[in-house]
Amino acid sequence: MTDDLLKAATRALHEETADDGADGRFTRARVMASLHQGKVKRRTRLAFILPVAACLAAGTAFGAATGRLPAMLHAISEVVSYGRKPAEPKRSSPQPAPAQKPAPAAKQVPPPLAETAVAPTPAAAQAKPSGAKAEPALSAAKPTPAPSSSAAFQDADGDLYRLAHEAHFDAHDYGRALAGWDAYLRSAPNGRFATEARYNRAICLLRLGRDSEARLALEPFASGRMGYRQTEARQLLDELSR
Amino acid sequence: MTGGLVFSPTAPLDEASQDEQDLVARLVAADPAAVGEVYDQHHRAVRAFASRLVGDAAAAEDLVHEVFVTLPRAMRGYRFESSLRTFLISIAVNHARHHVRSATRRRAAMSRLALEPEGNSADPEQVQRRKELASLLTKALDTLPLEQRVTFVLCEVEERTSREVSEITGVPEGTVRTRLHHAKKKLREELSPRGLE
Repeated sequence: MTDDLLKAATRALHEETADDGADGRFTRARVMASLHQGKVKRRTRLAFILPVAACLAAGTAFGAATGRLPAMLHAISEVVSYGRKPAEPKRSSPQPAPAQKPAPAAKQVPPPLAETAVAPTPAAAQAKPSGAKAEPALSAAKPTPAPSSSAAFQDADGDLYRLAHEAHFDAHDYGRALAGWDAYLRSAPNGRFATEARYNRAICLLRLGRDSEARLALEPFASGRMGYRQTEARQLLDELSR
Repeated sequence: MTGGLVFSPTAPLDEASQDEQDLVARLVAADPAAVGEVYDQHHRAVRAFASRLVGDAAAAEDLVHEVFVTLPRAMRGYRFESSLRTFLISIAVNHARHHVRSATRRRAAMSRLALEPEGNSADPEQVQRRKELASLLTKALDTLPLEQRVTFVLCEVEERTSREVSEITGVPEGTVRTRLHHAKKKLREELSPRGLE
């Protein structure tokens, strides 16, 4: 009996997952976006590391050529130990003062720690332009090129957006559209069309009868935080609460 | 489960065609067009395996995504000892652990809340019965260790030979058979008290 059941269940699982009808376009677009993102990250890293390495190499070469390398190394070690001191303030037996005088160069080099800590990250620099103009969702179907460093990455996100838009407004397949908006927002949470995508996602939830989720998704629009479709969102929430 | 992609040195494919070699070279160079090409050819097989293994459509999609994103890096270890499709499945196996765990957690939460999503269908009775059986097996699979789960899905659900499974998982055929035996035993035990009408 259990053997039969196991066989039947195995067959059922096989058939159930044989072809789920998913054409995998969303995942394909996600894969492409991730690959582009990886490439951009590698390039950014390279663009940051290369100049630093070049400066280091040039500084070392300069020091070696002028015979100041030992003094420079000493200065750097002084700076590093100076920077470390605040980390261990209450020592019962404080470190003895250095036997030799610090090199004059050491006094001229300020501790670099504070500067690096506040340096803006690339992610922060690429943050979404706040208060994106409220454009109608339909007009967003044809995105105009944005000032960005990677056109290819934009295209990959654009594909996700177009697929979701097509499922929503052309095919009226709200389940697929919801998956599409989710895929787009996962790929580009601060993308140019993230606000529109979030609004459209809320509409999909509404269409699918997932009222409580829709209410949550509409809340930020109705409150005006998103600066987009406030009136419509408020009307929809009113309708939902009736 | 093995840590990385380990292929047993079974008979290599006779001659990898020039096209295939070019494709592999492009994949190693992380050419997105090549990844797209491989995706178009094999995504259905990878998705079917992922769905069977994790038992959750969303987690399966995430696994498919991960397989193809990591493909260029994984291709550096590809030696034409198995087909590209088999290689993709082995990548999926290597990345499955996290996805299986999260899908299992989600299923447990859903069943606690009795929120199991139901699909609508034109042929309700038969499809419903099939769905129930599949879901029953998926829940029983959740109780297996990942190695046994992978082996059962590959051998029984995907109906692959033990040699293929050995290539995918990187363990000897004897180990595959042992894992399958233990998996079936546990599944029988797991299914017996729950038995359907």
